[in-house]
Amino acid sequence: MPNPNPLLPLSALGIYFHAIYIALTFGLPVAIGVMLWKYWKTGDKDFYKAARLMTAVLAVNFALGAINGTLVEFGLVQIWPGVNLAIATFAFTPLALELIAFANEIAFLILFIVTLGRVRPPVSLAILALYAVFAYFSGVLITAVNSWMQAPWGVGPVAQVLYPFMPEYGPNAVDVPKLVAVKLAAVATGQPISLIVEKPGVAQEVGIVLKDPMVAFYSPYALVSIFHNIIAAILIGLAVATAGWALRYFKTGDQKYLKIVKPLAGVFAVIFVIQAPIVAHFMGEAVVDYNPTKFALMEGAEKTFNDPIIALVAYGDPNKPIVGFDQFEKACLSHGDKTVGDLIKAVGLPNTLTLQSAGIPVDFSKIASVKLADLCLQDLQKAKAYMPMIHAAYYTKVAFAIIGGLAAAVLFFYFYRVPGLSTLATAIARVFGDERRRVFILALLLVLGTVIPAVAGWYVREVGRKPWTVYGLLYPSELVTPVPYSTSPGFLAFAYLVILAVNIGGLFAMYLVATREYKFLELLKKGAGVRQ
Amino acid sequence: MNSAVFIGFAGLGLAVVLHIIFTAMTLGTGLLAALYRWRAYRENDAWAELFARRVFKVLIVSELFSGVWGTIITVFLAGFFTAVTTLATDALFIPIAIAIASIMIRIPTIAISWYTWGKINPRTHSLVMWIMALSGFGVPFGFRAIFAEINNPTAVGYYLQTGQNPGWMPYANPLFWTLYLHTIAAVVSVGGFVAASLTALENDVRGVKAGLTLGFGFLTAQLVLGPLYWYSLDQYSPLLFNAVNTTYGPLFGVKLVAVAALVVLGYMALKSARTGAIHPATKWLAPLALFVVVAGEILNDGTRYPNLVLVGNKGLPATLFANFYMDIPMPAVYVILAFLILSLVVFTTAAFYALYRRFIAEVPETE
Repeated sequence: MPNPNPLLPLSALGIYFHAIYIALTFGLPVAIGVMLWKYWKTGDKDFYKAARLMTAVLAVNFALGAINGTLVEFGLVQIWPGVNLAIATFAFTPLALELIAFANEIAFLILFIVTLGRVRPPVSLAILALYAVFAYFSGVLITAVNSWMQAPWGVGPVAQVLYPFMPEYGPNAVDVPKLVAVKLAAVATGQPISLIVEKPGVAQEVGIVLKDPMVAFYSPYALVSIFHNIIAAILIGLAVATAGWALRYFKTGDQKYLKIVKPLAGVFAVIFVIQAPIVAHFMGEAVVDYNPTKFALMEGAEKTFNDPIIALVAYGDPNKPIVGFDQFEKACLSHGDKTVGDLIKAVGLPNTLTLQSAGIPVDFSKIASVKLADLCLQDLQKAKAYMPMIHAAYYTKVAFAIIGGLAAAVLFFYFYRVPGLSTLATAIARVFGDERRRVFILALLLVLGTVIPAVAGWYVREVGRKPWTVYGLLYPSELVTPVPYSTSPGFLAFAYLVILAVNIGGLFAMYLVATREYKFLELLKKGAGVRQ
Repeated sequence: MNSAVFIGFAGLGLAVVLHIIFTAMTLGTGLLAALYRWRAYRENDAWAELFARRVFKVLIVSELFSGVWGTIITVFLAGFFTAVTTLATDALFIPIAIAIASIMIRIPTIAISWYTWGKINPRTHSLVMWIMALSGFGVPFGFRAIFAEINNPTAVGYYLQTGQNPGWMPYANPLFWTLYLHTIAAVVSVGGFVAASLTALENDVRGVKAGLTLGFGFLTAQLVLGPLYWYSLDQYSPLLFNAVNTTYGPLFGVKLVAVAALVVLGYMALKSARTGAIHPATKWLAPLALFVVVAGEILNDGTRYPNLVLVGNKGLPATLFANFYMDIPMPAVYVILAFLILSLVVFTTAAFYALYRRFIAEVPETE
């Protein structure tokens, strides 16, 4: 099998950059909407100017998000071409529907940019709302695909056959012998799946693998992930916008910037209350139910232990133990002396499988004597190696989320008077110095309290499902490209250079757009006949 | 060919044609905008600055939407024709990597060019504009290699026969170079005509002349490159060559008539512009040039039907590469097509207000 390790950080880099822009894509429309609403209701031009500036930032951000989305998408089909089998089956409907979202999101964004300031604020708000609907719909669909890789809904007990500690993933919507045959063909030949999928005529010969094209949508894991991810992205975008205006207030002391910070901080606090105690709790429960190894990694549970607080949060039962890797190992050993050969017989596969169109004879006898318990234990060992990092990342995430929540509460009650609470908030805020300083520091804590949990949380989500790319089913080495020079230093250097140069340059440009005044317009004005 | 495969083929065709229309408009106008932005900076020419910004509006309005259709092509390919997509990504790794890298540079530099105009110094801005303009030509340098391989699989043939990755071999495919040069001349020419038509609406004679000089100049080059590509098809993709000349002969004839009309009208318009007048036909040159592009792309791709890949005199049908791993939910596909049409309507409205009603001002609002 090709070694996928050099390509994993490359994919992660692209995904993390994409996440930055998604956060602004999701959060800035809320901030712009708030400004336009205030402008509509008060007629105060400062709100309109704030909306216009944030729209310019949104436009550059959207372009960067789109190209990183393209990179991630092509990364999937080019660096991980085995994923094409998932795109042709479980991910087909979400990705096809994503076309609706993507095309309309761009069309409405362009319409919004073109008409902003030329039509009345409620019309602009309506266009912005339509843009946001399609942008969030895009988030829903992509999260559904990602969630399928976390909890492959629709494969029923297939993962459980090899890993007895895993749950069933919904109804069985697959042709089990065919799915097992594809997996074992990759194991037996030592080649990535793409080398089978790419052959003309193979799809026709294999035939139907998935019986329900909509099954990825029925996943409870996907449902809670959708809310969790989209709200987190909105919060980050709002926090960045709030901090940006707070920075201007800090630098200038101009009250008009404080006027902009106030409603943004209010909206942030309201959304945070939905995210942290409610949605994040259900997300945690979904991980407990569907990613047992990930949960054990998060809690550092090498051995099973009792902790009433964690158990109460995770299971709703303080007496239940936190299941550790020792229990998973016991479950693996329950296979006894069963072998891959027994599994092949059980699903009714022949000893040698020949795909005529591919001209590939797959000899299963080479792996028939391998014990299922050994395979299961090997994978647990690989997963356990990630424990220190996942455990640390998870608790870093929790700690910063608490900081973000406290900052949001203080800022909210500082701006909006509630007897008792506002007095307390003001007392806390005063610790940070004068008003300019305290507003800026609290806004900065909003950024830290959302960005760090998101970065760490995404790390836990993605790395926590290792050693699998599709949890319990497929390894990265089975999906990676077979092209040898994809891991060569030359290609990797080229790819890193392009990704870093474009993104760092792009982020710097966004900063310039947000902060610089127009200084070089004389020639353009002269050409257009505009008086200086 | 079953209905899912047919819809996949037709949907792919629609996406390719729309993508080509937008890219044809933006690659050439991008080059023109960069050229005149640079001239404005070097010569302190106020008109050149305004002209560059005016032409650039085409990109700021349409490049992202053009990218949408590129994404649609990818999803249609991966979803409906899984085998060909996987084969292309494995065998044509280098061309695809070049195209992706170019896209990554191109799209952000368009947004950056527009929104930093007047905020950063003109020299740096001109440099960003050049990067924007030139990176655009890297995209077809990657993707046209795939088209050349579909019509004459040399690198892919080597890969399938030997199991060895062909590396840079797609660029040794003789069809690639004639197709690429034909494409580049076409998009630059269309960009020139689009700029001319757009500035004709503003009664900007100098702008019309600048657009027509580029458009007509590269159209003249097409008089050599077009027949050269046609001849190379005869040599390396005989099945496609025969389809173009027989089944699709009427469309080919219409295309040739349109090219002739473009040559005549373009010449007359350029002659008028040189005397300081705008010829009434100028505003129709852009639609006519785009029609030629659409006809050319249909001839290049639609003629393969019902095949997806052509190997000499043999066609490999689309069904060989199609997705049979599940029954594709056709109602969902129809809903998607309906919503894509909605997005086209919304985009057209935005483009109308931006370019025709001039909702996007050349001079940014500073207050």
